[in-house]
Amino acid sequence: METIFDLQNVSYTYLGKFEALKSVNLTMTAGEQISIMGANGSGKSTLLSILNALVYPTSGEFYAFGKPVSEEAFNSLEDNEFGRYFRKKVGIVFQNPDIQLFSSTVFDEIAFGPLQLGLSKAEVKKRTEEVISMMGISSLKDRAPHTLSGGEKKKVCIASILSINPDVLLLDEPTGGLDPRSQLWLIELLQDLAKAGKTIITATHDLDIVEQISTRAIVFGEDHTVKADSNCDAVMNNLELLTSTNLIHKHMHRHGKLMHEHLHSHDGENHHEH
Amino acid sequence: MIPEWMKEVEIGPCQCCAVNVGKKKSFVEKSISGALSFFQDSLISEGFAKRDGLLQSLDPRVKLVSAIVLVVAVSLTRDIRVLFAVYLLTLLFAYLSKVEVLFFIKRVWVFVPIFAGIIVLPILFNVFMAGDSLVTVATLGAGAHIGPIALPSTIYITRQGTMFAITFILRVATCVSIAVLLFLTTQRDVLFKSLRSLRVPKVYVLTLDMCYRYIFLFMDVVRDFFTAKKSRTIRSLSVRDEQRWVAGRVGYMLVKSLDMSNKVHDAMVSRGFNGDVKLLHDYAVHKRDYAAIATVLTFSLMLALISQNIIRI
Repeated sequence: METIFDLQNVSYTYLGKFEALKSVNLTMTAGEQISIMGANGSGKSTLLSILNALVYPTSGEFYAFGKPVSEEAFNSLEDNEFGRYFRKKVGIVFQNPDIQLFSSTVFDEIAFGPLQLGLSKAEVKKRTEEVISMMGISSLKDRAPHTLSGGEKKKVCIASILSINPDVLLLDEPTGGLDPRSQLWLIELLQDLAKAGKTIITATHDLDIVEQISTRAIVFGEDHTVKADSNCDAVMNNLELLTSTNLIHKHMHRHGKLMHEHLHSHDGENHHEH
Repeated sequence: MIPEWMKEVEIGPCQCCAVNVGKKKSFVEKSISGALSFFQDSLISEGFAKRDGLLQSLDPRVKLVSAIVLVVAVSLTRDIRVLFAVYLLTLLFAYLSKVEVLFFIKRVWVFVPIFAGIIVLPILFNVFMAGDSLVTVATLGAGAHIGPIALPSTIYITRQGTMFAITFILRVATCVSIAVLLFLTTQRDVLFKSLRSLRVPKVYVLTLDMCYRYIFLFMDVVRDFFTAKKSRTIRSLSVRDEQRWVAGRVGYMLVKSLDMSNKVHDAMVSRGFNGDVKLLHDYAVHKRDYAAIATVLTFSLMLALISQNIIRI
């Protein structure tokens, strides 16, 4: 399989003192479905920003599609063929929809990406209409983003990326704030996109969706290093790993694929029953 | 685990607990709720642009150019009868565009007294504009003055001043009506994009569009700030503390908006934005649009000619 992302000893530090990623070595290949797991502040979102060439490693090397990714190369897309190729191939769905929905209508939002990438106006309109229809959001197309519900905003965010037709889809906590029906819809969509051959990389600490949307899991520890990189089953059954990385609590149990947690009191910490 | 004081639970207030009613809202609360209701109104008024009315059926560029030409023509007009006729015409067009006339009148006259009324108020009195007495306000006697400024012995409202004030207010109200009608009958995004027809640079159009979108978001944040404060305010704060709180929130909003602007820029870059703005808009000009612009231009020319006394009525 073709390697799309290669991170070699990548570290990232905010403002020169807050460490977000530490000595990360990862290789990702085309067509993979990967979950990046970790507790709050472990560096998942920073990793996605690096993979989308929005921030650049403070040390180490990052290669995308076999070419080095650096700030200099991405400063302007105007005369940069690789930059344009990268933006067409890699799309990111941000955790906060309000960051991503900056246009005044849903239609304009979804048309924004294809327009910037130089497609003809007729093609942009056709593609936008098709994505709107595919996502079942025709009734929203003239609405302003601030009038949408959380689930609707998430749908529009995803539609605005799918209209570019990227091969690699990066998603940051995609199920955050979604109701059960919207979550199920999202899982099915990601499964369909995976079948179509897309690479899907999802940052999440929602363990319920990991096995449904990915085959590989990368776990980040609270020290911002990679603690595990294996297939989903192996990671999800490693309770010691999940506990030590603060993804589950010791009073949270897995029974096969089911997980539940016990309410407990520290007065009787060593005494709880099923 | 929890400290002792947290384990105390009160059943309810004591019987002697007084309930004071009728305390007025604070200045901050009134300002925030006023701003929020204005934005809610804007949200509701967006529905008018989607109605199947006369002005909604016209090309947005035609409407924009027509509105500008008409505002210039009305600004030149001094005849009160002509101004009144044009104002009535705006009401007629509001009706034909399925905008509730009462709502439209209220929308216009909310702003007119604030902006025009205050400006024109001094002109009413003979202190600033000499004229025939209409209503006597005060008799000061000879030699009255405020500091170095000498005042007339009788202060009264003049007939000429009143006519001037009415003409001025009517002119402002007509211009505001034209602008409000344009905003109510045109979708915001389409209106902003139609600025391109006036050669406004794309980057300004995009910025205007994004500003309008994010104002709503930041208003929600401001409302949340205030609601959170209200829910935890056990006793009223002093004016100084209130001012300190407002200043702190203003600073925080600035930091938050800067942070958000960076993130929004990232989101744009990630979708291929490279500083060269591309906007999607196509307009179809119909026969009715040509007829509309021709009518407006002729009408505006007539107003200009009347104002210059070339045509007498």
